[in-house]
Amino acid sequence: MNDVPRTPPQERLLNLVIALINTRVPLHNRQIQRQVAGYDADASPEVFGRMFERDKELLRELGVPIEVDDEGGYRIDVSQYALPPVDLTADELELLWLASSIWNDSVLREETGRGLTKLLAATDTRRDGADAGWLSPQLQQAGRAYVPLRAAIERAQVVEFAYRAARSGQTMVRRVQPWVLAVRSGGWYLIGHDEARAAARVFRLSRIAGEVRASGGPQAFVPPVHVDVDALLADPSEERTAELRVQAGRAAALRARASRTRGDVIWVDYRLPDGFADEVASLGSAVVVLGPPELRQAVLNRLRAAAALDGLPPAPRLAVANAR
Amino acid sequence: MPAERSADAVVRLLGLVSYLAGRGPVPISQLAQRFNVSGAQIRADIDQLWVTGTPGYWPHDLLDFDGYSIERGMVHLTEARGLTQPLRLATREAVALIAALRALAGLPALQADPARREVAASALAKLEAVAGTVEARLDVTIAAPETAERLEILTVITAALNKGHRLRLRYSSAADRVSQREVDPGALVTERGVTYLRAWCSQARARRTFRLDRILAAEVLDEPSDPIWVAEARKVGPPPGEGDTTDVTLVLGPQWRWFAETLTVGEVSAEFADGSFALRLPVSDEAWWQGTLLWLAPGVSALEPPAAARAATVEARAALAAYGLDEEE
Repeated sequence: MNDVPRTPPQERLLNLVIALINTRVPLHNRQIQRQVAGYDADASPEVFGRMFERDKELLRELGVPIEVDDEGGYRIDVSQYALPPVDLTADELELLWLASSIWNDSVLREETGRGLTKLLAATDTRRDGADAGWLSPQLQQAGRAYVPLRAAIERAQVVEFAYRAARSGQTMVRRVQPWVLAVRSGGWYLIGHDEARAAARVFRLSRIAGEVRASGGPQAFVPPVHVDVDALLADPSEERTAELRVQAGRAAALRARASRTRGDVIWVDYRLPDGFADEVASLGSAVVVLGPPELRQAVLNRLRAAAALDGLPPAPRLAVANAR
Repeated sequence: MPAERSADAVVRLLGLVSYLAGRGPVPISQLAQRFNVSGAQIRADIDQLWVTGTPGYWPHDLLDFDGYSIERGMVHLTEARGLTQPLRLATREAVALIAALRALAGLPALQADPARREVAASALAKLEAVAGTVEARLDVTIAAPETAERLEILTVITAALNKGHRLRLRYSSAADRVSQREVDPGALVTERGVTYLRAWCSQARARRTFRLDRILAAEVLDEPSDPIWVAEARKVGPPPGEGDTTDVTLVLGPQWRWFAETLTVGEVSAEFADGSFALRLPVSDEAWWQGTLLWLAPGVSALEPPAAARAATVEARAALAAYGLDEEE
């Protein structure tokens, strides 16, 4: 604890807002330091300057339009300050509450929370909308790459990061012009222009190893107006039809998707060859693949490996691994 | 108690003043509900605002409240010092709110609820109108659209949830057994892009989670749900009694990284020079584990304890026999 009771930051920030809203003439650094409660009138210009810079930046981040004139005088432009009238119904507010709960990262939770506070402060609508509490969508955490990537997207700044390839597991440094952050199937992705590959690429945030560093100045590139995230993430494989013999009373979930059934044989359309082979293999003896041959082969490979699991080397390799 | 972020405090304090400006006395309890904080926090906020104002900070410079009202649990702002307008949305706030609302609007569980779909669309339109142009640099889709058949089942489930009625389900379990169940539906959860129904199952007399793609049929019953079971079903975490887990560790090749990424449990416990890694997993669902090993086996190069593979090995041999093959071939 300090000996001298310090003004809480929110009190200083609020005093600054009120001073800059009510002033008839723009206020200069010295005036702000001397007059606004919460700033130390005796602090050196450097110490005050750092604090004032941080406060200004935070308030601007919160949407407060602090303007500076040619002579370095500050004021808040009241015409830019206000939220336009917004007339939300109770049901709409309920959905906004729910929407603000989907994030799993504190940065995003705080930002939606503050937005919601502002909307609630601007309406008379009560919080008594139809219960939407049974909707519970959940996202993964974007993690610590989110903040630097978002900042780089806002400033159109190139970033560098170490990235672990999905297949090889090798880590390589990538230089990317970041365009969009996206979530698909719960996972976070960065979409951008990979400079070494001279093409648009998708990066999974969970595979970024270590820090994301900005490289070079802002406005280094112009992102495309529209980025089709789904097209970039889409699987290019075409649809195929599997012919499967299913044991009576088994594989009901697969049967429910069948496009055709004849006796114990069903036909099921699939698009992801590996994913579908995984699903069929997981059903074990309940399903026998009659065709196509590549699916039959893929399932047999999995089953043969599973049948040999009891012949695997057991503990030694793991003991070494854990000792590392 | 962790210190509240000053950013959140500033936004709430500014919001409080603009909300109270010109409104007359407002009960503290109502403000607490509106701003989602305790009554004690509202009182602390008022104390804070009372000493805030324009330079000089003489009594007439400060924000002012009617002290008599506060004693009666009411807040009556009498001097707003120019803070009468609600503060506009910051760009980042608008981006996060709009992305979240768009994500919600596209959620299959909401698509299956016609009334709420309309509400989401109108809320989004109003938000976009006040936020101005916000570039779509945050693009969130929680789950891919469902097929027409599943959307139909989902529509039945959302109708039951909205009405507060019980459901009859035909369900194919992870162990590949079909059963008929009557449940008190609690919540539709979407996790890693997969939709689940959390419900209280009368047969099992326990909380159960049903994967939407394994629900073969659903029907709304005439009977209302029991609120006690609904509340129970909405709880998160494993239901009591289902907590029995076995820890297994498996070594997987580098191309199976994505599998570790799809899991909500477990951890990578070791990394190897060739890119392979050890994954430690708590296994509570035997059927899921057996099914997983059956397809994951080609990637597994070591397993601990060895007995954890027994059921999968037996089933794989039975499957190969069904193909008219055995594992020696």
